Amino acid sequence: MNASAQSHAAQGAFRALADPTRRDIVMFLSEQDMTIGEVVDRFDITRAAIKKHLIVLEDGGLISVHPIGRERVNRLEPLGFKSVNGWLNHFNHFWDDRMSKLATAVEKENLKKQHEKKK
Amino acid sequence: MTTTTISKTIFVNAARETVWSFLTDKDKLGEWYHPAEADLAENADYVLFARNDDGTKKRQVWGRVVEMDQPSRLVTTFIIEPFNGAETIVTWALENAAGGTRLSLTHEGIAEAADKSAIQFLTALDAGWDNHLGRLRESVK
Repeated sequence: MNASAQSHAAQGAFRALADPTRRDIVMFLSEQDMTIGEVVDRFDITRAAIKKHLIVLEDGGLISVHPIGRERVNRLEPLGFKSVNGWLNHFNHFWDDRMSKLATAVEKENLKKQHEKKK
Repeated sequence: MTTTTISKTIFVNAARETVWSFLTDKDKLGEWYHPAEADLAENADYVLFARNDDGTKKRQVWGRVVEMDQPSRLVTTFIIEPFNGAETIVTWALENAAGGTRLSLTHEGIAEAADKSAIQFLTALDAGWDNHLGRLRESVK
């Protein structure tokens, strides 16, 4: 995945998690896979509303839907929260940033030492 | 080294001993990274701190110093909150180069730790949600 696609995927995940009902759905799905009906049973809102929430979660890459017999089962996709690639990219940039700061800090001190020697 | 190892090399215009002090001295670590609780010592645990908004300390990175060969090689474990206790390994190598120092870093084990981080993320949904979301948003920039 390139940086732009990754950033786009992350935005979908943020949008999906911005809503408290969807966060509750994620909590339930973290315990077990569920059909729409099973999710609906745990909330005081309509089936249509739950279905909309599930679509947003799926678009955000946080859940996947699997047909099992006549049922459609919703399953959590934990890596959607932060992919391995996401972490590798994170540390790749992190170390670039830190090592550049390190070089600056070391060379600043080195200059200071050289000035003191000259005095 | 695997395909998920991060490796970086920079050249620093200073002697190895000077560079070494910035990797191990508790205050100098703070100049480019986070300050440590104490100077790094072989086989000892270490903690690097950040400050919360209210000024209290929070542990940002921690682990153990596995190998210390002054001024040429430093190996530490590297743990952060989202890794759910999983250790990654950071190795620093310092070589003399044209009057300065060739400084190389490898960071291994991130992919394995990332697998555990997903579970951590879920269990943290209730408590530090905003905090985690903020961190995630920062890290995907």
